[in-house]
Amino acid sequence: MVDAPSDHSVASPDDIGGRPHELFSAARGLGKELWQDKPGFIGLLLLVALVLVAIFAPLIAPHDPAAQSLRERLLPPAWVLDGSWVHPLGTDNLGRDVLSRIMFGARVSLLVGTGVVVVAGGFGVFMGLLAGYFGGRTDSFIMRWVDTQVAFPGLLLALIILAVVGPSMTTVIVVLALNGWMVYARITRGVVLSVREEPYVEAAELVGCKPARVLYRHVLPNLTSPLLTLAILEFARIILAEAALSFLGLGVQPPATSWGLDVATGKEYMFRAWWLVTFPGLAIGIVVLAINLLASWARVTSDPQEREKRFARFMARRQAGAGTREAIAK
Amino acid sequence: MRIQGTKKTLAAGALAAMLAVAPAYGQEITIAIGSEPTTLDPQVRDDGGERAVNDNIYETLMARTANGELVPSLAEGPPTQVGGTTWEFKLRDGVKFHNGESFNADAVVFSVERIINPEFNSEQGSFFSTITGAAKVDDLTVRIETDGPDPILPTRMYWMKMVPPGQAADPGFADAPVGTGPYKFAGWNRGNDIVLEVNEGYWGDAPQVQKVTYRFIEESGTRLAGLLAGELDVITNLLPEFVGQVPQSANISGLELPIVILSSLGGSTADVRVRQALNYAVDKDALAESLFEGFAEVAEGQLLAPSFFGFNSDVQAYPYDPDKARALLDEAGAAGTEVELVGTSGRWLKDRELVEAVGAFWSDIGLNVNVRIFEFDEYLNRLFDRDTRADAIFVVSSNELLDADRPFSAYYHKGGIGASNEDDALAGLIDQARSETDVAKRSALYQQAVQIAYDQAYFLWLLNIEDIYGMSERMAWQPRVDAKLLVKEMRVDG
Repeated sequence: MVDAPSDHSVASPDDIGGRPHELFSAARGLGKELWQDKPGFIGLLLLVALVLVAIFAPLIAPHDPAAQSLRERLLPPAWVLDGSWVHPLGTDNLGRDVLSRIMFGARVSLLVGTGVVVVAGGFGVFMGLLAGYFGGRTDSFIMRWVDTQVAFPGLLLALIILAVVGPSMTTVIVVLALNGWMVYARITRGVVLSVREEPYVEAAELVGCKPARVLYRHVLPNLTSPLLTLAILEFARIILAEAALSFLGLGVQPPATSWGLDVATGKEYMFRAWWLVTFPGLAIGIVVLAINLLASWARVTSDPQEREKRFARFMARRQAGAGTREAIAK
Repeated sequence: MRIQGTKKTLAAGALAAMLAVAPAYGQEITIAIGSEPTTLDPQVRDDGGERAVNDNIYETLMARTANGELVPSLAEGPPTQVGGTTWEFKLRDGVKFHNGESFNADAVVFSVERIINPEFNSEQGSFFSTITGAAKVDDLTVRIETDGPDPILPTRMYWMKMVPPGQAADPGFADAPVGTGPYKFAGWNRGNDIVLEVNEGYWGDAPQVQKVTYRFIEESGTRLAGLLAGELDVITNLLPEFVGQVPQSANISGLELPIVILSSLGGSTADVRVRQALNYAVDKDALAESLFEGFAEVAEGQLLAPSFFGFNSDVQAYPYDPDKARALLDEAGAAGTEVELVGTSGRWLKDRELVEAVGAFWSDIGLNVNVRIFEFDEYLNRLFDRDTRADAIFVVSSNELLDADRPFSAYYHKGGIGASNEDDALAGLIDQARSETDVAKRSALYQQAVQIAYDQAYFLWLLNIEDIYGMSERMAWQPRVDAKLLVKEMRVDG
């Protein structure tokens, strides 16, 4: 939210205090706005559903995802000839239930995706804010660090860390975050450099705000929109990067699995058993779509200019609608 | 009218051209290999792509029949032993290299000295580690010296390609090979193909195929597509899943045996009952029939296929008996203990799937299996780590010489590079066999070694993987147990 010089007629984040009823009404307001944006609402529903599936996987999965039955390998989904409802989405190359594996795979994929975006995003944005706001030596130091790391091959870094720590989900998150924070830092720095010159930032400084407050209250809100877009793109990329690492043996270890890993292993069987890649791939697609829908709403909602445009469109439609109704009435 | 006339002439010309080309076309074939050779010098690299081509250009003193039996090739007969450390070879008379040089004792001495020269630094050095030198007796007799009694020297000579002394010093030798074989080098279009033509002056039976083109196609799906499109005649390493789709396929018991090395040095697998339980727990038949779709045989409780020297036909695979496995675990008080299973991914056919399947079988009998799939370099570190042995390490052993010596020295012998036991008796037998020149005694020693390792369950023996080849409709060829692609054995119909 672009902070305007305080004018009490305009709602600003400062108005949302710590009192429960205020927080509640703010949340209700947001909820209402989301309800009006149908695609965003559907995105939220999908995400909630997937997270619930991941959390309650042990209760709802029809089979143990690690239970193999070699004699029943590569069974097709139920609705295809030879398929059965015992394995609704078929079985994989070792005769394990594809549906159950997708449910359990959701845990790793969602956790790694979220974890990496949070860790890399948090660190990257912090470094970008420092670099952009303080400039000078801090800036040079941080940006040269970013350059150096961008030039460093990611797989090599992963190998080094693996040799020391050993493969696990935490290692994957750390490795991917170490490889991914630079892009956040660069984008943040760019936005900060331009926002820094805005009059309201200068005003805040003149009033005597400490750098931390200026950054948090007046600079950071301007980053919401570009960072949301970036985070979504990164989320999808990370799910696939995790698959690459796991496939090489640097990530999650069997019998645990993830969507990306299932796609990677199923690739070999693509001509023979399309369901091995299709369903985990579909799951990745749905998550990315859901986040996109939700984020597109969040981007508009968090940007005052976009909000105004949306409001104008809404009014125009209402008037046009009213006009048509009048015309029909006549 | 004139236009019509031209058309007619064209048509007649095309017809004539077709008639002229058709018979020749029938004798030209295209073979897809997985990688482009980096060199065509037959003594430098240990590389499958280079071998696939050079096996047709170069020859060796000894060769194998399609069933793996060792027979003389450039040697006139089987070698004889003179003294403990010397083997004498009589050479075939009248053989010439493609450039006209005569093949004689000098060529053999040159070839031997070249490949064992430490400065030459051949990747095939380990095949010839016992050889110390060669000496000419007369023009067609040569003696090869070893550092100790070496019963498998004739087998080693099956691996050493003979090069022409006059040509090998030429700087262009690596790009334009010259051998004695049934095919001679015709051209190498880098990044694209290698072409060989029949050698009219070949000493052996004249081959039917006149011209061979090798194309380099790394990706198995592309190879398959090329075969289906009719561009290729022979493709290697066909996945079992695709056998039904190709016009023709042929399979044969291959050289690769996947095993799991079980550590007797410590951890939960130190108890022989646990190691036996791990063998009883795995349904090898299901692995062969389902995972490999029938294109693998169950390994008979030893790191040897039936065609390899040293095979013990009295030893059979541990049957699949999970109840017995659980009982053995209870007896050893090891139910629920942790077993670390180390494997890798993407190196061998279905390696990751085999490791996952074995891990699941072990979990089924109530063990806490910790499967660790490592990236290949890191995996090799674990495999060759002499200080701390993982409980169980998956590995695929490939036996090019079809003899027990190399795999047993590497995995059975306590000093071996991938061994996880400290069995003195076993090591003693292998040492003894290495210098035993009597064939029957040597075979008996290996059979004893097989029995000991089996009783002690030092390994989980899984499968013997078959090599599968895809072929076009017009090909007629039986694959060989040693996996060599010898074009002289191939025939084309039409």
